[in-house]
Amino acid sequence: MSLEIQNLHVRTEEREILHGVDLVVKKAETHALMGPNGSGKSTLANTLMGSPSYEITEGRILLNGEELNEADPDARARAGLFMAFQYPATIPGVSVANFLRMAVNAGREEPIKVKEFGQLLGKHMELLRIDRDFTSRYLNEGFSGGEKKRAEILQLAMLQPEFAVLDETDSGLDIDALRIVAEGVNAMRVPERGFLIITHYTRILNYVRPDFVHIMLDGRIVREGDSALAGELEEKGYEWVREEVTA
Amino acid sequence: MPADFVADRRKAALEVFEREPLPRWRRSGFWTTDVRKLRLDELEPRRYEPLDKLPEMVREHIGDEEHAGLLVQRGASVVYTHVSDERLVLTSLERALEEHPELVREYLGKRLPYDEGKFQAATAAFWTGGAFVHVPKDVQLDKPIQIVWLLDDPATAQYAHTLAVVGEFGECKLREYCLAPDFDGQALHAGAFELYALPGAQVDLAHYQDWGEGEVHDISTKRVEIGRDARVKWVPVHLGGHLTRQRLDIVTAEEGSDMRHTGLYFTEREEHLDLFTTDKHEAGHTTGDTVWKGALTGDSRASYEGLIHIVPGAQESHTYLQTHSMLLSPKAKGDAIPSLIVQTDNVSASHGGTVGELDEDQIFYMMTRGVSRSEAMRVLVEGYFEEVVQRLDDPGLEELVRRRIADKLRGAEEQVKEFIGERS
Repeated sequence: MSLEIQNLHVRTEEREILHGVDLVVKKAETHALMGPNGSGKSTLANTLMGSPSYEITEGRILLNGEELNEADPDARARAGLFMAFQYPATIPGVSVANFLRMAVNAGREEPIKVKEFGQLLGKHMELLRIDRDFTSRYLNEGFSGGEKKRAEILQLAMLQPEFAVLDETDSGLDIDALRIVAEGVNAMRVPERGFLIITHYTRILNYVRPDFVHIMLDGRIVREGDSALAGELEEKGYEWVREEVTA
Repeated sequence: MPADFVADRRKAALEVFEREPLPRWRRSGFWTTDVRKLRLDELEPRRYEPLDKLPEMVREHIGDEEHAGLLVQRGASVVYTHVSDERLVLTSLERALEEHPELVREYLGKRLPYDEGKFQAATAAFWTGGAFVHVPKDVQLDKPIQIVWLLDDPATAQYAHTLAVVGEFGECKLREYCLAPDFDGQALHAGAFELYALPGAQVDLAHYQDWGEGEVHDISTKRVEIGRDARVKWVPVHLGGHLTRQRLDIVTAEEGSDMRHTGLYFTEREEHLDLFTTDKHEAGHTTGDTVWKGALTGDSRASYEGLIHIVPGAQESHTYLQTHSMLLSPKAKGDAIPSLIVQTDNVSASHGGTVGELDEDQIFYMMTRGVSRSEAMRVLVEGYFEEVVQRLDDPGLEELVRRRIADKLRGAEEQVKEFIGERS
């Protein structure tokens, strides 16, 4: 079981952003994708989910061997792919609980039983230390940055995808919130699941230790290694990578 | 004598009606509402016998909820009246002339002159049946007062008049339903509605309009006057009508009066909806809050113009108005025009209007959770209306409105999919 990205070239209407990305995430693995702002990390995440803002001009995305290039975002989700958004959309008029129920049911033949849903929700909210009354608020409407990120991780927990992409889930979180989110992610690191954690900073990687680290620069993956690479990056900064690559 | 007073009023109104040409409402840009296609001569005020039981269509809409009183006018005749709370006066306006002449004389047309236009004059000259509501001083009614205007045959002209007076510190919920089955042919509902909330009164008012798919022309004026420290919450809901032109006016007439006005519309096919609302502050220390939301599918047209008017001397008034219109079809056209006349200082008044489409980022977000595009679209439109629907604060009516919106969205699914597909 794997999420496989092969020679992926991606463009927006204006220009090409990814110039041939290769990356394989197997289940039970946690990968970190790091890079400075504008390096193409979020483009990769959004392209994996099938965002209409991006076009794949070359290469393939494979989930368990099935090509996803042309699949709609909802089909990708049902196939087991999930992304926690960096900037999740606000959904006015739809409560967190109703949204979660709709999302859970979208991946099932039979709608989930009310009691089962309630128990599942209660369990995950406790893990993420989310108050009960949170579920009756409209999704992301008036949420603080930290609340939005927690709501994303709550969706991850409820949907139990095979592969989860976290797009800068750590950014904008204070240290307590970061710790809670990281604990939540760690609780979901099971042998049946793979993670791709996209981040600008190494901070979250102190809590969620990755098996592999990839560094992206200008739309290409330029360095790869184990978690020690993140430590090196922390010490020397992205300029070091840039110099190494251009040298 | 009140009967004479009404006869004189009818006569004066008839003169205005005969003198005035068919109206045409123009607005900046593309907007014109005219009624040239209405064959007025072919319509008649059709009369009906009283009914022992409610028509199916009425029952479906008002539900099984207990009421304080119910009055149904079919065509030109009041066919059903039932009052379950004896403190309430609910009767046809014709009978009220006999039974409550002083009140009728004092309030009939107080804020609703007969000479504002051809159709207003027609209603004042030709009304029959009619509804009269009086909630006496200090009476609090928990259950709703329901008034139904039913048009179930084509070629009918319905000249409708509702007069409602809520006495000092009276409290009530007042619901008006405008209903018609899908028939072939034209019909007219020329309506007049006036509500007087006397000092300290609290009124929860809702209008539900669904004229179906027939060629119903609805040209109405509804006016609400709010007295000292009284409060009116008004939720008009427009869910169907071939051509609708309505003026909805609220006057906070005395110090401390407060209004909350929340409207909703959903137009489809070739429907044409033209709404003009005013929030007029005639006294100081009055407050207002107006929110309108609409959605348009098919080739429909909907224009909402909302005016805040604060007259000289109405200091310390605070009000705002917001209007949003959502286009769900490339051929639909919508207008949302807020405007402001402030003739005094030391007030706060703000307004805003938007015309938009479904947000592609929201759709993408929902789809990444496994929700299909059409489901996402339905949920987003329903969510958009939810703020307004909840302001009805009436579970039965809320369910009815939600169900009708869901029906309309299902009907429009293909064209909306095409529309948002094209843009992505």
